Amino acid sequence: MGLEMAETDWASLIVQIFWLLFFILLFTGANQKIQMKLWSMDIRNKLRIIYKYFNDDEDKVKNLLKNLGVASPELLFKRVLDFFTIQPVDIEPTDIIKRLDHLLRTSDKSFRRLVASYLPGIDRYERSLIETSLSIVAALYMVYKIIRHYLLLGEKENNWILLMQLELVMPQIMRIVETYHKALDAFTTGKPIGDGVGPLVAYRLIELGEVVSRRIVEETSITELRLDNRRYIIIKAEGPGSNVGHPGAVLASVIEDLKGGVDLVVTIDAALKLEGEENGEIAEGVGAAIGDPGPEKIAIERATTKYGIPLRAVIVKMGLAEAIQGMRKEIYEAGERTVEYIRRLVKELTPINSTVVIAGIGNTMGIPG
Amino acid sequence: MISSQDAITWIAVISAIILSIYFMMESMRKPKEPEYETMEILECPKCGYTVTKEFEPGDFIGMIKGKCPKCGTPLIIKAIYEVEKKNEKNLKTPNNL
Repeated sequence: MGLEMAETDWASLIVQIFWLLFFILLFTGANQKIQMKLWSMDIRNKLRIIYKYFNDDEDKVKNLLKNLGVASPELLFKRVLDFFTIQPVDIEPTDIIKRLDHLLRTSDKSFRRLVASYLPGIDRYERSLIETSLSIVAALYMVYKIIRHYLLLGEKENNWILLMQLELVMPQIMRIVETYHKALDAFTTGKPIGDGVGPLVAYRLIELGEVVSRRIVEETSITELRLDNRRYIIIKAEGPGSNVGHPGAVLASVIEDLKGGVDLVVTIDAALKLEGEENGEIAEGVGAAIGDPGPEKIAIERATTKYGIPLRAVIVKMGLAEAIQGMRKEIYEAGERTVEYIRRLVKELTPINSTVVIAGIGNTMGIPG
Repeated sequence: MISSQDAITWIAVISAIILSIYFMMESMRKPKEPEYETMEILECPKCGYTVTKEFEPGDFIGMIKGKCPKCGTPLIIKAIYEVEKKNEKNLKTPNNL
């Protein structure tokens, strides 16, 4: 009989043990603890990868700083990594744009002053590359700190919902982190990035036209030229350093200087594509194509609304990786096509001898003018 | 002698193990991402001669770099962009095999 049992019932014994274990886990809640452990292990592994990226990038920028003569870049890193800007009060919306603009400009100036104090003899071009590289490292460190905070909090409080949310969002975070990590190369070498397609179009228009005048206001260039029997005013960040300028505020001041004597305003910018859309697709529409937190965009909207000037937008679609990493060929080619697109649009919408303001929005790194 | 019911149970257990391993490996596999190299196109504004070179740190569009081998005019960087690195296997065409 014992022999019979050995021959026939091993499989059913395993199945019975399996079910027994299953019910024990289910009724004691241990299955959830195992699941939590698995999630936290996975998050911890990904956190290690993020820290490695941060470490690699930190070393890269530290070496860069040492080559530029900074004896102890650790001190600069200590101050930069924890640098923060507090958002203005939003339960009282009166003058929030003014306050936000003030805080953003103060933050920008303070950050630049901080970097400049450690690199006194360096030119603006190189300093702008260092500033953006430091911002990337600081962003990676911030992501690392936030993920670590929620992981430790979830583990400490046995909060499986928190860990589950973190686990589900981790692939998206990892993709963004990898994109930032890879973007550092472009910013340390000064090559144009995908986001620079707006300034590239603006620069090409300057090349094509007959330049009348050029001036720099708030790190933003204003170039007046004649092209296709029209008066063009081209606004873009001053290049070729890593700079986005203040195109909104400058555009508003140009319109005010001309007392509203502008027939058309066109903004050109890189825009994040939806999944399934092609990189380098061009689209046109109405409104201000600019991805700032608010002050620049509202300045364009207010100035054009005040004088009833048509506000048009042309965007070049791309993914996040294409936007902040080196400019891909298809984006460059889209930029070249956009130049012709803009010229055609201006001819369609304005009569001869009109005044047209074109703003190339984005980071102008690697693109002069 | 193993009964048919036992055989089915064993098959189910082994299949479950194989499937678990397969799905675990599948979830760990990462699609290979393309690598890019940065190129720059230098153009002679006088005779239109163009040459493609590898990007060097600090170069920017519109920068004067080198001289035209045909007419001696300074060359200008016309474009800087990234292109996908070609795979060794893809480079082999029927002509050079």
